[in-house]
Amino acid sequence: MRAAQPLARAVGVTRAFYRRGRFLGRSVPVMALRGVDVEVQRAETVGVVGESGCGKSTLGRVMLGLLAPTEGQVLFDGEDLAQQTQAHLRTLRRRMQMVFQDPYGSLDPRRTVGAQIGDGIVIHRLAAGVEVAERVALLLRQVGLNPADAGRLPHEFSGGQRQRIAVARALATAPEFIVADEPVSALDVSIQAQVVNLLADLRADLGLALLFISHDLHVVRHLCDRLVVMYLGRVMEEGPASEIFAAPVHPYTRALLAATPSLRHRAAPVPLMGEVPSIASPPTGCVFRTRCPMAQPDCAETVPTLQTLKGTGDRRIACLRAEEIAT
Amino acid sequence: MNGLRLRSLAVPGLLAAAILLLALAAPMLPLADPVRQDVARRLAGPSAAHLLGQDEYGRDVLSRILWGARVSLAVAFTATALAATLGTALGILGGYFRGVIELLTVRAAEIVLCFPPLLLALLVVTLMGPGTGTLIFSLAILFTPGFARVAYAETLSVRALDYVTAQQALGAPTRRILARTLLPNIAPPLIVQFSLTVASAMVLESGLSFLGLGVVPPSPSWGLMIRGARTTMEQAPLLLLWPCLALAGAVLVLNLLCDRLRDVLDPRGRSTGSPGFLRKLAALPPAPVESVPLLRVEGLTLQVKGRHGSVTLVRDAGFSVGRGETVAVVGESGSGKTLTVLAVMGLLPAAVVPVAGRILFTGRDGHVRDLLRLPEAQMRALRGRDLAMVFQDPSSSLNPLLRIGDQVAESLRAHGAKSSESVVPLLRQVGLPDPERQAQAYPHEVSGGQRQRAMIAAAIANHPRLLLADEPTTALDVTVQAQILSLLTDLKRAEGGMGMVFVTHNLAVVSDIADRVVVMYAGEVVEEGPVADVFAAPRHPYTAALLASVPEGGAERLAAIRGTVPQPLDMPAGCRFAPRCERAIEICREVAPALVEVSLVRRSRCVRWKELV
Repeated sequence: MRAAQPLARAVGVTRAFYRRGRFLGRSVPVMALRGVDVEVQRAETVGVVGESGCGKSTLGRVMLGLLAPTEGQVLFDGEDLAQQTQAHLRTLRRRMQMVFQDPYGSLDPRRTVGAQIGDGIVIHRLAAGVEVAERVALLLRQVGLNPADAGRLPHEFSGGQRQRIAVARALATAPEFIVADEPVSALDVSIQAQVVNLLADLRADLGLALLFISHDLHVVRHLCDRLVVMYLGRVMEEGPASEIFAAPVHPYTRALLAATPSLRHRAAPVPLMGEVPSIASPPTGCVFRTRCPMAQPDCAETVPTLQTLKGTGDRRIACLRAEEIAT
Repeated sequence: MNGLRLRSLAVPGLLAAAILLLALAAPMLPLADPVRQDVARRLAGPSAAHLLGQDEYGRDVLSRILWGARVSLAVAFTATALAATLGTALGILGGYFRGVIELLTVRAAEIVLCFPPLLLALLVVTLMGPGTGTLIFSLAILFTPGFARVAYAETLSVRALDYVTAQQALGAPTRRILARTLLPNIAPPLIVQFSLTVASAMVLESGLSFLGLGVVPPSPSWGLMIRGARTTMEQAPLLLLWPCLALAGAVLVLNLLCDRLRDVLDPRGRSTGSPGFLRKLAALPPAPVESVPLLRVEGLTLQVKGRHGSVTLVRDAGFSVGRGETVAVVGESGSGKTLTVLAVMGLLPAAVVPVAGRILFTGRDGHVRDLLRLPEAQMRALRGRDLAMVFQDPSSSLNPLLRIGDQVAESLRAHGAKSSESVVPLLRQVGLPDPERQAQAYPHEVSGGQRQRAMIAAAIANHPRLLLADEPTTALDVTVQAQILSLLTDLKRAEGGMGMVFVTHNLAVVSDIADRVVVMYAGEVVEEGPVADVFAAPRHPYTAALLASVPEGGAERLAAIRGTVPQPLDMPAGCRFAPRCERAIEICREVAPALVEVSLVRRSRCVRWKELV
């Protein structure tokens, strides 16, 4: 069984965005997340995978309190983020950080990388004066860069180096929890490996809890302890990564795995028909049923909830036919 | 900030300083009293005592211009500075907080825009009486909404950027985000706005003074001088010229200064590049043409002419494509893979010129042409018919204003088809659901995968002999990528003999779709051969390292390639991969290796290929 107190936790989180209607500005809610439960234990890496529009980036921002949930709770170390005062929230922010996808957009082009890495230290008054520069130098060395680089501007670095700088900035406040939103998707293959290795090392050395958002199943498989598979704002399947990769149960997880090209085997020919429906008007019942090869009439009526798969303990699947597929 | 860029500020800076100094020093200069009249010598021409002549009251014009500069510049700068401070503050607050605050700041400021500017100024001056103070106040009110709008629009786009979110995630207080992160990044357009506003404030000051609503005579100002000179325009036209020249000169110097300032403040530096309107035929020595199965690229070398001389982007690239064959070109960003494909299409950017090589292509008529030396008119006849291309991002490569059916019909019509009957069957062939209805849809109404299908339909409309696909699935989701890959495979089977060049950075996709693979690194082909052979036993350390760095299988640690791809300006002297290569020896760093035959079907650019197993 799992430990009692997870470090970061989303409980039944729903997040709506309001999009203006075509005429007269009547707002139409678009549900980016619906009833999502996610837990991240200390020193654990949880992977969130899914296609565009599945809500994985929204989930990351909600978990950090950068977006407020419309319904549900987000807890960090047992404290509900919505209940905190601004001042206390700011002190909680020291303990959780974020690494973004685009290493070109996530650094301020007009300030030196040293100043940006030092921001967190200065804001939270973790050090002052010369000590700030010393800490920045230490952080740069920690992510494999030269401390002498602190005075340079972001555009003087390559994409992989910038992503290291972004990681150093996130580490500056000595956080316990990091949300990494597609941190290697914008990088070249040979550079991806450098950043993935860096994250793996940091996790081991610092005991970081990591929420790793990605659409690349290979990277997730390599790095993550547990996996959350999302589709159209809902969690489809959740459990230990190794078990899901070995024997996926949800038809969507199976299709995703089959569609991922691999060096070792050819991708299955057309694993899924059609494309992800618009999040503004998701299908009734199970959101995946319109593309599901195993859909039956029931699926249009009942919204499947995450159920623990019998005999596993910690694998949960949101599919009416889960037990049938698993056996 | 380097010295070179600061130097670009020197000329406009010195000019502006000179203007400012002259205006400030006016009381100390040996000038005639600007208000002392000498009616006897009214409208006198230039003389030794009065270098620019005397005006309608016999006052010294030079002295009045310099004294007038004090007033004109002071009014324009003070009013603009006030407007800039107030407007920027309103714009940033409105753009950052939105909601009610936006209503109270930006929208409130915009009410001012409802009045015609001159009318508003007239109103304020009438209420408060003419004078310098009133003038500054009314100009400031007039120009505030302009700054507010620019600051607001810039804030809206900057606040959505990741580095602002990163500051929030760090727990930075809002005022720190506004002052440290937002303000510097929205500054460039505000600087431009400032220069434009100072210029128009000077003009407006002149105008209001000219109307008798600004500076009160007899104090000199450029506007008053223009006003005075107008009445005597016929007798003494020069009197009108001097204040106009002063005004125009000051405005131009200011514009130049602000433009340069904006460039200097941009840390990335100004982009340089010559404009290109027409694709010019490269000045290449003639080369013999011999028969090839479909396509053979040989010794292709591409350069870009820059400030520091020519930079070679692609060096000695070569590969061939047989009929019905799919060749994948893989490489990281900066490897030159896209440029190589664009060269085949004759679509290189204007700044990039081929300096050596041949691109031999056998057309449908059985004729072999060298595409690198083909005149544009003949190249155009081939494009879309014998040669077709699919681009990476289907949302930017389709025209958003044309229906999907029309865009496919366009490529049919470009090559002589009379009717567009075959559009719907084509859309059906690429697997668009409900093709009759989809032909009437606009690109934004269908999904990314369907747009890419439409792009492919337009490309294969004329049954090309060779299809070039540049990262056609990179922008798509995994499940959709699988669909497009299988579509391309099916199409190749249906279009008997069509060759395909597939550019990608994804090695797993290569093994899915291609017969042969060309691996590029830093502008060179480093390895070429059948996919299965190359992936099973790479003969170049780069290919081997690339394959090892793909996170598949159970390796505890990924085999990363140390270092980064070298920049075109700063290429290693010997083998371009040597600085990152685990197997590099002395000779690798000194001599650039040639592409050598490893077997009948494989080539490698490594001197140690025999040792790689």
